[in-house]
Amino acid sequence: MDLRRRHFLTLAAAALSAPALPARAAATGGTEKVILDWYRLILELVRHTATYSPPVAARAFGYLGVIAWEAQAAARGYPSLAGQVNGLPPRPNDRMARDPAVVMQGALTAGVRALFGNTGPTGQRAMNAMQKRLDALVGGRAADLAKGGEIAAHVLAWAEGDGGADVQNLGFPDGYEPSNLPGAWVPTSDIRLQQAPLLPEWGHVRPMAMADGMACTLTPPPPYDETPGSAFHAEAMEVYETSKTLTDEQKIIARFWSDDPMLSPTPPGHWISILIEIAARDALPAERLADALARLGMAQNDAFIACWQSKYEYNLIRPVTYIRRLIDPKWQTLLITPPFPEYPSGHSTMSGASAEVLTAIFGDGFTFDDATHADDGLPVRHFASFRAAAQEAAISRLYGGIHYRAAIERGLDQGACVAQHALRLKTL
Amino acid sequence: MKWLPLLLVATPVLAQEPAVPQFRAEPAAVAHRFSGEWTFMVGGGVAAFDCSGDGKPELVMAGGTAPAALFRNDSTEGALRFTPIPAGVEMTDVAGAYALDIDADAVTDLVLLRVGENVVLRGLGNCRFERANEAWGLQGGDAWTTAFAATWEAGAPWPTLAFGNYINRAEEAFPWGSCTENWLLRPDGRRFAAPIPLTPSYCALSMLFTDWNRSGQPALRVSNDREYYKGGQEQLWHVAPATPPRLYSEAEGWQRLRIWGMGIAGADLDGDRYPEYFLTSMADNKLQHLKAPGPGALPQYDDTAWARGVTAHRPYTGGDPRPSTAWHPAFADVNNDGFTDLFVAKGNVWEMPDFAEQDPNNLLLQGADGTFTEAGDRAGVASGLQARGAAVVDLNADGRLDLVVVNRNGPAEIWRNAGPGGHWVAIDPLQEGAPNRNAINGWVELRAAGRVQRQEVTVGGGHAGGTFAPLHFGLGAANQAEARVIWPDGTEGPWQPVPVDTVTQIRR
Repeated sequence: MDLRRRHFLTLAAAALSAPALPARAAATGGTEKVILDWYRLILELVRHTATYSPPVAARAFGYLGVIAWEAQAAARGYPSLAGQVNGLPPRPNDRMARDPAVVMQGALTAGVRALFGNTGPTGQRAMNAMQKRLDALVGGRAADLAKGGEIAAHVLAWAEGDGGADVQNLGFPDGYEPSNLPGAWVPTSDIRLQQAPLLPEWGHVRPMAMADGMACTLTPPPPYDETPGSAFHAEAMEVYETSKTLTDEQKIIARFWSDDPMLSPTPPGHWISILIEIAARDALPAERLADALARLGMAQNDAFIACWQSKYEYNLIRPVTYIRRLIDPKWQTLLITPPFPEYPSGHSTMSGASAEVLTAIFGDGFTFDDATHADDGLPVRHFASFRAAAQEAAISRLYGGIHYRAAIERGLDQGACVAQHALRLKTL
Repeated sequence: MKWLPLLLVATPVLAQEPAVPQFRAEPAAVAHRFSGEWTFMVGGGVAAFDCSGDGKPELVMAGGTAPAALFRNDSTEGALRFTPIPAGVEMTDVAGAYALDIDADAVTDLVLLRVGENVVLRGLGNCRFERANEAWGLQGGDAWTTAFAATWEAGAPWPTLAFGNYINRAEEAFPWGSCTENWLLRPDGRRFAAPIPLTPSYCALSMLFTDWNRSGQPALRVSNDREYYKGGQEQLWHVAPATPPRLYSEAEGWQRLRIWGMGIAGADLDGDRYPEYFLTSMADNKLQHLKAPGPGALPQYDDTAWARGVTAHRPYTGGDPRPSTAWHPAFADVNNDGFTDLFVAKGNVWEMPDFAEQDPNNLLLQGADGTFTEAGDRAGVASGLQARGAAVVDLNADGRLDLVVVNRNGPAEIWRNAGPGGHWVAIDPLQEGAPNRNAINGWVELRAAGRVQRQEVTVGGGHAGGTFAPLHFGLGAANQAEARVIWPDGTEGPWQPVPVDTVTQIRR
């Protein structure tokens, strides 16, 4: 599974010297374009669909990745994930020698339309335009499009039963009563909907590759303590003092990984963006791309489930609440504090999982540029490895004033644990 | 016996409850629809202004794919009645409309915001208009225009116009991040010069020239739709005479805010001389209060929407629990009790299942303690249609503010305010012979019962439409009042008694 960078550079050079694709795309090249174009749109749909908070986005990336892989598997004879991931039954026997690009187009069209059926009018219009554009590109038999649709329907039927399909009130439950215990999370936002925490039951959603939400549990954070000099107080002081001495570089890092819902593709979308940038740059073959998207998406989905299980197990107070209560009533965070408990850091868990998956696929020391937020005016950042990127994403939450160090470090560990479950699956 | 202390606690609150005005729906008063699909999911503005000279405002309503229309006001003091008449506004693709007197000829002109070329119409009198783009040198562009504001810069013979533009409508698969340039059109003598791009532009849905810091120099507030911009935020522009416009920066205190900005309304709610701003959004409406009012104030605001009870974040009646979508906001004293109230037009964008489908308009009544109470259902204006633009204006000259709402793909609605309500005055400031005849960006102050109310005279804001009419003040039980005008150049006019329950023109 360890594809070295030299291999991709060779492919990229070959692609550059190849003639333009004919009107009806070559099988594999067309498949790659279908995947990449849909995923570019998916990143926009995640950003512009109101229910797509990070856990919900990760769930979509998980199922879309599985759909992409199953489409490749069906058309090219690779192993299916049915029987490997939790609760996905096998499909009826597939006949081989289908056009992979057309099957992929049928599958992703159906998958995206289903998972983003609740997006707004502009998203609906964009999905129509994308379908039309890619239908024209791949041409192909209606039967292959239909087969792709069947594959997607099979995965979507599986998705319906995971406990995460129905997101009401943008994920903020009615009637939530915050705990009165010292050290417990309390709302940090002036937005009325956010007086309840986001998706408190998400830890019970069925994972894909992990057995359940308890598969990667954490040790407790430092015990809540208001005493100066205590471990907890010291962690809060670190957040506070760091905020007072932030360098410009640290501020950029915090904003680069802020990945706010509705203003970005969210943290899991950020890592999907990294993957598709690499895939486009290095002309990653379709089967490798589909495999990577499936593993990455499943790991992200499971990372949020594990993380949310821990968040609501420990229900920990955010730095902004603790620091204003005990250290500095006027303290301001650089980033907006997310509306849910602190421990562990969701971005850290998810980034840890993403980095482990991508490291397993592309190798350690794989360098890349991350231009996810270039359109938003943020700089392109260069990373020496996926793990380096994950570590930066994690520490960005401390720079932003929204997490203590324990949540960051143990979040990364939790993510690494989660990733192993996705990496055990058999595909190529 | 547990009920007794509850009653004792509740009694003072009940005593402060504002009077709820009764709005009578008048479905036969006007027949109009704002229709269209994607390019008319926003817009749907209405301009209210008197062009017949009888003191009662006519209405120009955007029509989207249907023609815009002017409705002559044939209302009596009782029933409201409007008659469509040929006026020169009957063109398609109109998203919004604002009235103002551009050439200071005492005849109101019109600006029509369109998906396509914007059109300025010169008023000919008696509610007739003619196209003036060429005569006035106004470049109408070819954008999806969704916002407008005007001011008169010091020494300028004509107004400076700001046009806010939305998405590049040619973009289908990736329209996000395609916000097109907003424009500032300054006068060049008695014509308009070439547009000055207001870049970066972030898909404006409302613009307002407003003297936010009482410096005498209005700035341009722009509310932007985060759905479509990348790297964007709300904006405040310096627009100083003979100087290129420039954004307020973080170094000047500007604080980044990113919302689904759809409408702006300003009012000095707390009597500190500085306006608060209500910004409409989706479940995230803001009521901004200047953090440190006073000379040298920084453009930094606290969000007081929750504290004052105007979050209006979900339907309050009808049983739909999903979040709300807010469009045109308007501050106005609808019960004439001397405290400014807030109307918010509500409606789903377009089959967005995560947001309320039945999304009633809000009528939030301000009490003496500065908090607001929802009364839309009790007042009778809780329509579940897809509201967009609106006007809160006295349509039948009875001293009570009525309500017009333009609905997308539905009939426009009109309600007559049947009271109860207290005394009132309306002030019409006039600079006879001056370019800025209607004292735009001046202030009217009214003193009654020991309190001073004040309103800024503006052209712009709301959602795609505005009211161009005398400024209305409720007086409650007070039957005496004084008023003065702080003219746009900063000159403070004298306090002068004004008769109650009538419109008074204050001339300079």
